[in-house]
Amino acid sequence: MKHLIRNILVGCTVLIASSCSDDFLDLTPEDAISNENFLATVEDFQSAIVGGYSQMALADWYGRYMLLIPDIMGNDIKANASANRGAAWALYTGGPTTDQNENREFWQELYEAINIANAMINADYTPPTSQQAEFNQVLGEAYAIRAIAHFDLVRLFGQPYTLNNGASAGVPVVTEFDQNSLPSRNTVAEVYAQVISDFQQAINLMTIAPGTATTFSREAAQGLLARVYLYQGDWANAEAQATAVVNSGRFALTAFADYPTMFLDGNSSEAMLEMSMTLADNRGADHIGGMYKETGYGDYLPSQDLLSLFSATDVRGTLFLFDTNLDNTIFASADGLGRRVDKWPSAGAAIATDNISVIRYSEVLLIRAEARARAGGNDAGAIADLDAIRFRSDPSATATALSGQALIDEIMLERRRELYAEGHQIFDLSRTGSDMVRTDCSTPGACTFTFPNDRFILAIPQVELDTNPQMVQNPSYGT
Amino acid sequence: MKKQLLSFLILLITATVLYGQGRTVSGTVTDEEGSALPGVTVTIKGTTTGTVTDIDGNYNLSVNDGDILVFSFVGFDSQEMAVGSRSVLDLAMSGATELSEVIIVGYGSQRQEDLTGAIQVVSAEKLAEVPAASFQDALQGNAPGLQVVAQDGAPGAGISIRVRGIGSINASNEPLYVVDGLPITAASADVTTTDFDNGGRSANPLAAINPNDIENIVILKDAASTAIYGSRGANGVILITTKQGKKGPAKVNLQANFGFSDFAFNNLLQPLNEAQYRQLYVEGRINSGSSATEAEALTAYNSQFPDLGDTNWFDEITQTGKTQQYDLSVQGGSDNITYFISGSYLSQEGTVVNNLFDRYSTRVNLTGKVSDKLTVSNNLNLSFSDQRGITDGTRWQAPFYLAYLMAPAVPVFDDQGRYYGDHASFFMGGNNPAGHLHDDRREREQTRIIDNLSASYEIMDGLTFKSAWSFDLLSVTDYIFANGRYGDGRNVGGTAQEATTSVDNWQGTQTLTYATTLNNSHNLDVLLGYEAQRVNTRQIDTGFEGFAHPELRLLSVGANPQANGFRSRTAYAFNSYFTRVNYDFEGKYFGSFSLRRDGSSRFGPNTRWGTFWSVGGGWTLSNESFMQGVSFIDNLKLRASYGVTGNANIPNSGNEDGNFRWASLWAFTPDYDGNPGAQPLTVGNPDLTWETQENLNVGLDFFGFNNRVNASVEYFKRISSDLLLNNPLSSTTGFTNIFSNVGDMENSGVELGISADVISNNDLVVTLGWNQTWIRNEITRLDEAILFGDFRREEGRDFQEFYLYGWAGVNPADGTPLFYTDETKSETTSDINEAVRFYDGKSATPDFFGSFNISASYKAFSLSTQFNYQFGNYVYDSPGWVIHGDGRFTPRSTSTWAFENRWTTPGQEALFPQHSWGNRSGSNTRNSSRYLFEGDFIRLRTVRLAYELPTSLISKANLSRVQVAVTANNMWTWVKDDNLHFDPEQTINGVYNTVTPIPKTWNFSLNIGL
Repeated sequence: MKHLIRNILVGCTVLIASSCSDDFLDLTPEDAISNENFLATVEDFQSAIVGGYSQMALADWYGRYMLLIPDIMGNDIKANASANRGAAWALYTGGPTTDQNENREFWQELYEAINIANAMINADYTPPTSQQAEFNQVLGEAYAIRAIAHFDLVRLFGQPYTLNNGASAGVPVVTEFDQNSLPSRNTVAEVYAQVISDFQQAINLMTIAPGTATTFSREAAQGLLARVYLYQGDWANAEAQATAVVNSGRFALTAFADYPTMFLDGNSSEAMLEMSMTLADNRGADHIGGMYKETGYGDYLPSQDLLSLFSATDVRGTLFLFDTNLDNTIFASADGLGRRVDKWPSAGAAIATDNISVIRYSEVLLIRAEARARAGGNDAGAIADLDAIRFRSDPSATATALSGQALIDEIMLERRRELYAEGHQIFDLSRTGSDMVRTDCSTPGACTFTFPNDRFILAIPQVELDTNPQMVQNPSYGT
Repeated sequence: MKKQLLSFLILLITATVLYGQGRTVSGTVTDEEGSALPGVTVTIKGTTTGTVTDIDGNYNLSVNDGDILVFSFVGFDSQEMAVGSRSVLDLAMSGATELSEVIIVGYGSQRQEDLTGAIQVVSAEKLAEVPAASFQDALQGNAPGLQVVAQDGAPGAGISIRVRGIGSINASNEPLYVVDGLPITAASADVTTTDFDNGGRSANPLAAINPNDIENIVILKDAASTAIYGSRGANGVILITTKQGKKGPAKVNLQANFGFSDFAFNNLLQPLNEAQYRQLYVEGRINSGSSATEAEALTAYNSQFPDLGDTNWFDEITQTGKTQQYDLSVQGGSDNITYFISGSYLSQEGTVVNNLFDRYSTRVNLTGKVSDKLTVSNNLNLSFSDQRGITDGTRWQAPFYLAYLMAPAVPVFDDQGRYYGDHASFFMGGNNPAGHLHDDRREREQTRIIDNLSASYEIMDGLTFKSAWSFDLLSVTDYIFANGRYGDGRNVGGTAQEATTSVDNWQGTQTLTYATTLNNSHNLDVLLGYEAQRVNTRQIDTGFEGFAHPELRLLSVGANPQANGFRSRTAYAFNSYFTRVNYDFEGKYFGSFSLRRDGSSRFGPNTRWGTFWSVGGGWTLSNESFMQGVSFIDNLKLRASYGVTGNANIPNSGNEDGNFRWASLWAFTPDYDGNPGAQPLTVGNPDLTWETQENLNVGLDFFGFNNRVNASVEYFKRISSDLLLNNPLSSTTGFTNIFSNVGDMENSGVELGISADVISNNDLVVTLGWNQTWIRNEITRLDEAILFGDFRREEGRDFQEFYLYGWAGVNPADGTPLFYTDETKSETTSDINEAVRFYDGKSATPDFFGSFNISASYKAFSLSTQFNYQFGNYVYDSPGWVIHGDGRFTPRSTSTWAFENRWTTPGQEALFPQHSWGNRSGSNTRNSSRYLFEGDFIRLRTVRLAYELPTSLISKANLSRVQVAVTANNMWTWVKDDNLHFDPEQTINGVYNTVTPIPKTWNFSLNIGL
């Protein structure tokens, strides 16, 4: 019948023969590949892992918020008057906090990364023997991305493992794609188990040392796994993983002279994994540096507490810019001068091109120092690691002569000096069961918070609660 | 079904071939003025033999000498003429009434009184009353059921139209625009990758068409009229017909317009002066504890503004707008060729400094008769436009945002005479709202060619084959530059972005029409068609940074290429079969049926083809014998239609290409460290298909009192189902939503239109008109409520009902904000965390809207006025939380409204809370009813006075016509809400952005006919 009509219509002759055929409607996109045709070569896997790194480098993850939020919730960074991005977390008050950009984007973007990793890990593909090592490397990177995403989610949205051996609600562990799934929250311990298993897989699979620190290496995975164990209070394993990194011989602390430009130049001798930021990425004020600098949003400032930690000869105390607009205001430092964090010094046409660290060798040494000091019995080893950091940045430093709790306290102070503004403080406070006290505090009601605290972790985003009836909100965040 | 139709058609064809008569008579049928009348039925009295006049009014018929010919044509008195011995029988038919208008409908035309559907015509005269870049402006108030909103008052800006409410949640709600048979690209979103158009508000691809080239606009509203457009008919269809030449000597028409414009709404926010700003600055610092004393705060102030100015930024960015338009057209024709040729230049300077829209357009419409049987025609429109605009919303460069936020203490110029930018390091990136309009660029160039080529061949009497080939070639280049000294480009030495979109749209339509009259009383009109359309879109978007000199702005001189550009090629295609049968019996009973089978590449392979249809009926009661005694009724007709149409307008979403949202894809847009990467783009949904809409329409038309009164009332109900929706997924899947067909929605309403010549004599005619539309919207099925900005879509509620925190005012005791804790509004709190969002029965959907008009003509003068109004809707001030943030974003400034109404003293009843530096009170929480206002308004849309110079005067200059006219638009506005500080007409969805306010314009025109 259809054919008869077609023939009768005079117009449907040679001119429109093409449009009468069924393929006329059978269009496929020219700039995308269908699921069925993708992840069919090792090169496809390599494209997918780049997609994974692109995800990690987003401003909503390591490009900005993964470094910013844990610090602005702590006591080393304070909010400027105009602070907007992340302010609900920094001030522990203000607008309703279940539906902020930051918690929503963490949740969405990190699970997107997990989905990319899952697609690669679960793909039904066997590489040719000649490409087995390359394939294993990229698959290992996928495991590592799945691990770090779950780890970041559980430390952002779940109470610390050390509170109750991981019995609190964590986040859903997702290892397979199912568009209809409405998962409930796994416990913190279950998430940690998956994270550890994935990092171990990654370590086993990755055998090719990358040319730069902008992608995962076996050692980057080991360093991050050391951090996971440290968060668990598993000192022996934390030390073992840190030692594996040290023994690889691939890293050395950045020299004193190079310290201020470590991220500007990128790939310093201590870089283990950092997010590449290029001119082409064009991050502008959305780079983590832009959150601190006058030339960006300038939303956040160093606290007087933080500034007081540095000796006059410590290079790390010099990574601050003056800001005369803040002079003699409540936002000034103790000497009445306005100061701004300048760990990422790129400026002018090259602004926002500093790489952003995920893990670096200094932290690995500090992890080992802390693990040794807390395990007890090896204070000398702990001090060796600690002093390596101290001597590197302060030529006038003298050898540490502490032990026991005093040594541990000093290591924790050193972590603040070394790692401030790199996304550690609220985690370090909560995993060690510490209160958060801001002495230099301009917002009444946001100055002292005792541990354990419902507000040391983020609210599950409202949109997830609306969509997924299995999801339970963290306490103190409403429904 | 198809088989029966086909057999029916074949039967008809053969039936009419089977006759034979003695000899041939021929002739031409015209109206009283000598214009050819096509479609006149000519029959031999007492037989079923007959024919219909062709497009030039000609007929041929085999007759015998004793035959009597009956000429009938609706709207004219039937006339009989004896053939006698004559072989040529011309006739000038008389008795033409207003009813006889022939209306363009989808794939054909119909006489108005034969219609079974809801169709509205807007004439060229109405278009002339609202001088504007786009014809859409003139539709406002002139067609019941239509909401026409110019969201942005900038030259060349976009216009949104809703025909009978909102039928879709996620797919487009804009009607289908068809120019001389071709559905054309109408949405700015389809032709850009930049934010030049501010999400469609500020640019309009339809402004390519010169309104003066338009003969009329027909709006198809119900299923009987739109089902022939199948899967694209659900939002209504707007048919634009361009002018054709008429047989006769050349007529030259010259039109010149000049106008100027200012803001229509006189309650716009005003910025602070320096003294007021300083006072707030000091007060805010003391209130927050940032400064202990006034002296300390003043020290901070003085150090913050070393080059103190006193700037009114609103005045700096605005000006009196100017419009000029020159149109020249020539039309005429011979027996074999008719032509309409025009050229036009439009230049609009906006009310914002350096905003403009310039258009150059030409048109050639030609129709040629190759033979008695074959007619070819081509309509060609070429247009080029240049536009310069601004950004809106809450972006730092938006002038109507910055006008209030930028401190008046910042001067306009620095000591070198350049636009001041020294505040770059401490005040909103050194934005300078006046400077941006000079030193930066936001430009669009659009080139558009619309061509309709067709040939029609009369196979036999009444049976015509037409082949139409249409092209819409559109190329848009957006260019956005931010200088390197201050503002957005300051850190990178300036940024430039250039993006080009080209759209090639072609369509081939093949139709066969057959019209006949059986037994002198059964009129039948049959259409069969096949159509194929394909639209290809190519886009390139690139950026550069680093510009060495302030005069250098082009991409070609930028130093650093930006990798995060955008490139894409995409396409969609439609393939369709359709038919329509119109039938009437003695002009008393009418029936229509249409059917279209549509295939679209935009849908999943499982659901690619769909069938759409409608049935309609009409009954002219006034032609019944029982009505003959009612003398005041000239015509009374009852109409009803029902049918099913679709909405295939799947939007792009983020990186998702609307053409392929059914597919599961990996995209290659991500890159990292210089390497290309891949990421999953869409979940994919192979069952994705169009939205379906059932459409019921019942209408009653009345003409009476010697055609001095006409009125129509229509009831409609649109039931949209399978709504295309981003159905939320748990984000743990790695996707936030899947695009699928879920949800139902209903719009029902009543449209009323009345027009009456209250005075009508030789010199004076006064006509009053009123039309009003009542609309009710309800989401009838939605499994899960969806939070969307200030709204929440929930089953059982109006689609546009606001869902907000309940603002309870300011606590007079301490100046803190108060919010209702819940929807009971029984308790208040100062802590926003103790409050929840709730529905409060306030919607962006109006209860009713309409227009009222008075026109009068006295001798050579004519006056027309129109009032538009809308009641019962609410509008939300989207930038309010920043501009009126009570100091939240200090040192940013605010408005005088906030300054004058802030809380300062205990016990004071105030509109605004205490102003505090860095305000932490949560008073400016977004999605709060604090920023919601009543939207009710009445506006004097048009006053137009025209005068025709006496013939005695102009004939001396060999002119046939000279008209001078002055038109004033938007001269007066009433709003219900005194606290409303933006123009109530500037939002289609209830949410206002910082767009250019709507202008009021004075326009002078001169029309000369040679």
